[in-house]
Amino acid sequence: MTDNHSPSNSPFNSSFNSPSDPTVNRPATSDNDLPPTPTVTDEVDEIRSFLGRAGRFVLVGICLYLAVYLGAEWLVYQTAERNRFFTVKTAAMNDYDHVILGASHAAVFDYRDLNTRLEQMTGADILNLATEGSGVLLNRVLLEYFYATGHTSDTVVYVVDSFAFYSPEWNEVRLQDAELYARAPFDPALTRILLGHPAGRPVLLDYLTGFSKINNADRFAPDLFAAEGPRFDRVYRPLAQIDRQRMAFLYPADIDADTLQASPYLAAFTELIDYVQARGDRFIIVRPPVPSRIYQMIPFEPEFDRTLRQVAEQHDVELHDFTAVNNDPGYFYDSDHLNQAGALQFLQRYLGPVLQEEED
Amino acid sequence: MLPNSFTFLAFFAVLAVVYYGIPHRFRWPLLLIASLYFYATFDPRYLFLLLGVTAVAYVGGLLLARESGAGKRRLLLAGCVVAVLGALLFFKYWNFFADSAASLQSMTGIPLLPAFPRLDLVLAVGLSFYTFSCISYLVDVYRQRLAAERHVGYFALYVSFFPKLLAGPIERAEPFLQQLKQPIRFSAAGVSLGLQLMLWGLFKKVVIADRLALFVDGVYGQPAFASPADLLIATYFFAFQLYCDFSGYSDMAIGASLVLGIRLMENFRRPYLATSTREFWGRRWHLSLAGWFRDYLYIPLGGSRVARVRKHCNIMVVFLVSGLWHGAAWTFVIWGGINGLYHVVADLTRGLREKVRTTIPLPGGLRTVLGVLITFHLILPTWVFFRANSFADATTVFARVAGSAGSLPALLPTRLLAGEILVSLALIVLLLGVEILDERRPLQQRLARQPTPVRWGIYYGACLTLLVLGTWQLQDFVYMQF
Repeated sequence: MTDNHSPSNSPFNSSFNSPSDPTVNRPATSDNDLPPTPTVTDEVDEIRSFLGRAGRFVLVGICLYLAVYLGAEWLVYQTAERNRFFTVKTAAMNDYDHVILGASHAAVFDYRDLNTRLEQMTGADILNLATEGSGVLLNRVLLEYFYATGHTSDTVVYVVDSFAFYSPEWNEVRLQDAELYARAPFDPALTRILLGHPAGRPVLLDYLTGFSKINNADRFAPDLFAAEGPRFDRVYRPLAQIDRQRMAFLYPADIDADTLQASPYLAAFTELIDYVQARGDRFIIVRPPVPSRIYQMIPFEPEFDRTLRQVAEQHDVELHDFTAVNNDPGYFYDSDHLNQAGALQFLQRYLGPVLQEEED
Repeated sequence: MLPNSFTFLAFFAVLAVVYYGIPHRFRWPLLLIASLYFYATFDPRYLFLLLGVTAVAYVGGLLLARESGAGKRRLLLAGCVVAVLGALLFFKYWNFFADSAASLQSMTGIPLLPAFPRLDLVLAVGLSFYTFSCISYLVDVYRQRLAAERHVGYFALYVSFFPKLLAGPIERAEPFLQQLKQPIRFSAAGVSLGLQLMLWGLFKKVVIADRLALFVDGVYGQPAFASPADLLIATYFFAFQLYCDFSGYSDMAIGASLVLGIRLMENFRRPYLATSTREFWGRRWHLSLAGWFRDYLYIPLGGSRVARVRKHCNIMVVFLVSGLWHGAAWTFVIWGGINGLYHVVADLTRGLREKVRTTIPLPGGLRTVLGVLITFHLILPTWVFFRANSFADATTVFARVAGSAGSLPALLPTRLLAGEILVSLALIVLLLGVEILDERRPLQQRLARQPTPVRWGIYYGACLTLLVLGTWQLQDFVYMQF
């Protein structure tokens, strides 16, 4: 400790008192220290002059920002691959036979060359828009964007996971996740869609300013799903602790038997079915394979399946429940995601035939 | 509404425009309302605590001014300080005492202390800072160095002024209140300077500190599983993360305040260029807190004008209390204790060091560099206790780094060349470069002498770096927790 106060020599603080900068307000110790009291007119003039300079500074700044924005947009077109907004914007065709929606359990069907293989198996044109951690709201936005950009599809296949019906984490929060927009090309159509969804509005400024693209730390990294690399070949050895952590991650702790019925996401799901059917397209619900030990751990899963069957019946929608098939532990790379071998077998034996049947 | 958020920047921009657009007499009420709103955005319940502490200090100040009897005044001061400090002790330290009592009991098996139930308390952000402001005000009024403030609005604004509310500087009442009583006029130079400071503070926080935090948090989250090379790198990174985080906040606070025409005290002065630990703590790091402890604890204890042993005890008390102020955990107490010991050892060896200095004369520049390096590497291990989640984690860090000391020179170069670490290193070099330039001649003066295109180029460069490289995932400021 020192008993002395040394005078400030900071770059900024020293200049508070510097002779070159006499106008900065500072505590006055006597009347003699005070600069001549400026009049209101002086103050207004100084504000005007400052605003003029600030305006020029901001104007040049906006031009620079636009240049950076264009650079970031250009980079999106060079590096984007799996971003679903990019997928829609740059889709090779206009008319598809099937569009696949869902979360990560459906996204695996697009890992590596699996979607191409599925197309070969079924002879259909398929666009997979499933996104990791996405609930009904994001899937709805993606589908609307798909239609808004002039695409059509005979069938919408929704691979349903129960976790997406319980928490805003996988819906509103996910829709507002900046990561989704880090490689989303600018498109007025998407702007309109986001504006039309209350949950999409908070992210609109980010999307319009391209901030997430400009600030994307992974701007040069390949745009692949996290598990699409070597992890996709692994075989998971079940560990109770990891399974429990996974459940705690996916499902809120406070859900009960009535939560689903009151869930706004169930209502959003039925609205999505109505939306697709109103366009004259078919809607198919698919339940993906789930290891039986995980199925036992998921809270109120049988009740969820019961509700889903009711929804399907009420809306005259096909429901293919594959929760209990293709669920050998050797087919999963982690507690609940199919690995390459598991996904391929599932496509060949189960999903492929369903889509083939639709095609026929 | 964290100061490193776009929401805050928008809030501040609107406030500044309205502030200068209204007559002077309405400016302090506007600042008070804005400050209370700002604080309420964290949790409206905190407002009750803030207003409660403010009320105690305000009324206490008036009563102290009115009372003339020495005994009564002392009693009044003690009551007010206990009330203000009580809020801090209760909200910040209750669970710490409860846990410590429980640990002691489980170790000894004897119920030494009555059972403290753990309470579900949320620490109000900035509580440690504004309670210290209130205590300094009360003591200054008691010492009759300051007249009690009768204007409740001015006083409330002194306590709650939003730029300094979360993490200081722990401003003294006198200079702040004096400024409020002067007509605050728009000053283009002041506003420009304030904006420069805000930009530099934001840069330090968002570009440097939060980037380093990504690595540090990962390593210190589970030190037992991190490689010794990563532990060592993370420890160095944390030294700069903490500095950029806290000094970044301080620069933003001082800058924002300056834009509004109010000057706050300096809080940091290029601490890692200190040539001794004494200089580090006394003249460069967290100056407002160091000054507070000096004026309101060290000097009342007798300061340095007492016998040597007593002086050393005073130093240790100050540093141990300072450690506890930083966080309700024993790791902070150890951190404070080590830094106190540095001071004591430095004092004890002063003669010896002088003798060495005269026996082995070194060129001034080399001596400074050596001093800076030695000081930095004395401070560095103390940050391990500051950052580690527990004492066990801190010892793990030391044990793992020391255990691999032989292989580290071979491992480090490869690790340091990894992309993300390399970018972080480059930013640290940039920071140190700026600080060295600044030490020689204030940056503000250097900037002021440059033609407009150069100055604007620097500002745009900083803004674009913020946009392109900034980590905007809204990390809290480290010192907000204190």
